Amino acid sequence: MDKKNESYKVKSFEYMMHPKSVAIIGASNNPDKVGHVILQNYLDVGYSGKLYPININASGSIMGLKAYKSVLDVKSNIDLAVVAIPAQLVPKALEECGRAKVKTTIIVSGGFAEVGEVDLQYKLLEIAKRYKFTILGPNCLGVMDPKSRVDTLFLPTYKIDRPRIGGVSFASQSGAVGSSVLDMIAHEGFGLSKFISYGNAIDLDEVDILDYLARDKDTKVIVFYMEGVKRGKDFIEVAKRATREKPVIVIKGGTTEAGATAAHSHTASLAGNYEAYEAVFKQFGIIKAESLDDLLNFSKIFDTQPLAKGNRVAIITNGGGTGVLATDSLYNNNLVLPQLSKDSSTKLRAAMPPIVNIRLPLDMAGDADDKRFNVALDVIGNDPNVDAIMAIVLFQTPGADSRVAASIMHHSATINKPMVVVSPGGNYTQAHVNMMESSGIPVYTSPESAARALDALVKYSKYKLAKGR
Amino acid sequence: MEAYRLMKKYGIKTVQSAYVSSAAQAVKFAAGKPIVLKAISGKALHKTKSGLVELNLTGDSQISAAFTHLKKAAEKYKPYKILAQHMVPQGIEVIMGGREDAQFGKLILFGLGGIYVETFKDVSIRVCPIRKTDAQSMLDDLKSKSIIAKDAKSASMLEELLMKVSRMLIENDIKELDLNPLILHDGTYDAVDLRILK
Repeated sequence: MDKKNESYKVKSFEYMMHPKSVAIIGASNNPDKVGHVILQNYLDVGYSGKLYPININASGSIMGLKAYKSVLDVKSNIDLAVVAIPAQLVPKALEECGRAKVKTTIIVSGGFAEVGEVDLQYKLLEIAKRYKFTILGPNCLGVMDPKSRVDTLFLPTYKIDRPRIGGVSFASQSGAVGSSVLDMIAHEGFGLSKFISYGNAIDLDEVDILDYLARDKDTKVIVFYMEGVKRGKDFIEVAKRATREKPVIVIKGGTTEAGATAAHSHTASLAGNYEAYEAVFKQFGIIKAESLDDLLNFSKIFDTQPLAKGNRVAIITNGGGTGVLATDSLYNNNLVLPQLSKDSSTKLRAAMPPIVNIRLPLDMAGDADDKRFNVALDVIGNDPNVDAIMAIVLFQTPGADSRVAASIMHHSATINKPMVVVSPGGNYTQAHVNMMESSGIPVYTSPESAARALDALVKYSKYKLAKGR
Repeated sequence: MEAYRLMKKYGIKTVQSAYVSSAAQAVKFAAGKPIVLKAISGKALHKTKSGLVELNLTGDSQISAAFTHLKKAAEKYKPYKILAQHMVPQGIEVIMGGREDAQFGKLILFGLGGIYVETFKDVSIRVCPIRKTDAQSMLDDLKSKSIIAKDAKSASMLEELLMKVSRMLIENDIKELDLNPLILHDGTYDAVDLRILK
C-alpha cells in the first residue's frame, strides 16, 4: 500500500511493534501488580531493546533493572510507554510522557469510560493531542508481536500459551475474547503476526488498526473481534483498500441488540443496525465469522491456501459415510461436487481396485493406503473440473497411517488449488493432524466446518477477482 | 406531491396521481380509465390494513360511492387527504427503500414487497452509492430473484432503477424512504405507494 498516505496514527503502530526502547510505568517488584507481569513478560519473551521500569516509589532496581521515578528521569529516547497504574494517576504520567517526547503509549489501566469516568478518559486524549503522541486503550491488553518479541499482555506466560510466529494478525476490542482466542490460536495450525487489544479506543481505533494491518507486510490475514465501529465512513474507505490486499475476517459482537429507535417505515425495520453491518461486510469484501469456531477455521484456510477459481470441490475419502455427509455439507454451503473429467476417470479406473467406484465423492474404501491417496491427489489435483479438494482421512482405518499423512503433505505443497483435510479422531489421529497442520494444511474435525471455511474462501476469491478487473 | 416531483427528477416512474376533494374531481381524473382511491393520513401508516384503499374503480357511480365510503372510513384518521391514482395492472410487488444510518450513511434496500415484506423479509441491503455490480449482487442475494427478475432485461431495468434510487438518496436529505409496493408489470414498473421521511 501507499506509504505516503500513511497517517501518523498508523506509523505509531510501528513504534509499538518494533520499539527500540520501552518504559513500563507501574513496573514493580511486587508480583501481584500488573506492571510486574508486563515487565516479566518482556523479560520472558527475550525482548532485545532497552527497558525502563518506572515507579513513583522506585529506589534502586526493579527486577534487576535500573528503576526510575518518572519517564522524565530517563535521559534517552523512549519509543513506547506501557501504562499500568490506577486510573486517577494516568493523566499525570501521560503529561510526563508528553514532556519526555514518548512516541506512543499503551494504557492498560481500566477505570475510565467503561465505569462512567468519561471526563477522566477525555483528559487522556486531550494530553495526547497536545503532545502529539498516540494512545492505544485505555482498558486494553496492548499488543503482542512474537517476531519482534514484544508482549505487553498482563497475562502470565505460564497461564496463556503464546502462538508461534505466523501470518495471522488479530485485533480485539475485548481483552477477554482476545486472550482466550490467542490461547486457542497457540494450539491451531497457524501462527500469529500481531495481536492488538484496543479496549476503549479513545485514540487509535479499529479504522487505524485495519489501516496498519493492511499495510503490514508480515500480516497475511486480518482477524477482528469488534462490537461496533465508531467512524463508519472511514471504516468503509479503509476496508475497501484492505480487502483488496488481503482477507479480513470479522466477528461482530452484539448482533442481537434491539434497534434503538422505533422504525417508521418497512425499510427502517428491515434495515436495522445489524443489517447495516452485514451490508457493509458483504459489499466491501469482509468475511463474516458467525462464531469463534468460524474465526479459527477461516483463519487457517486463508493463512495457508491459495484463492479458489470457483466453487467446485472434489471429495476424496477412505470412508463412505463421511463422504456422503461431506457432500451434504458442500451443498449446504454454496459449494458443488463436480464431475471428473474423462481423462481423470480413465486414469483413476486404471489405478484403483474394482471395488472403488470412479465418481465423486471418490470413496477409496476402508483399506485405502498412501498409494491410492497418491494417485487420487495426482489425478484430481490436475483435473480442470475441480477448483478445490476436500480430503477425508479417517486414521482409524487399516490403510491410513503416517504414509497417508505424508502423501497429503506432499500434494498440498505441489497442487496449486486449495486443499483441506477432514480428520476426526483421538490421539493417533491427533498426532497426524499436528504433522499436517504444521506443514501448512488446514485440518478440520468435521466436513461441515471444512465446507464453511471453503465457502468463505470461495466468496472472498470471487470478490477479489472482481475487484482485480 | 413534493415526493412525486422528486421521483420525476430522478426518472423514477410513479403512477399518475392527484389529490381530489370531491367525487366529481375523482371522476374527472379517471377520464374513463380504472382508478384507485386512497385516504392519506399521518395517523394511518398502513393504508390497506386501516381500510383506506379502494381498488379498481370504474364508472361515475362506482367512483362516487367509493369516495363517500372512503371519507367515512377516514373520519377517525383526521386530518387526511384523498389521493386518486390510475390503476396499475397486476404484477410482482417489490420494495425499494432507503435509510440514513448513523454509522455508515445512506443504505438502500431492495426485495420482495407488498404485504409480504415483513413476513418473508427477503431483502438485500447495501451502502450508497451503489454501482452496477452492487445492484447485480443485490438481485443475486434474493431468494425470490427468479420471480422478481425473470430475465436479463428485467434484471437490467431493476439495476438501473436501483442506481437511480441510490443517487436520489445520496443527493437529498432523506431519512427514510419506502417505495412499497413498486409493481413490476409488462416489462416495466410503477411506484404505486411512496413514503419519504425527511
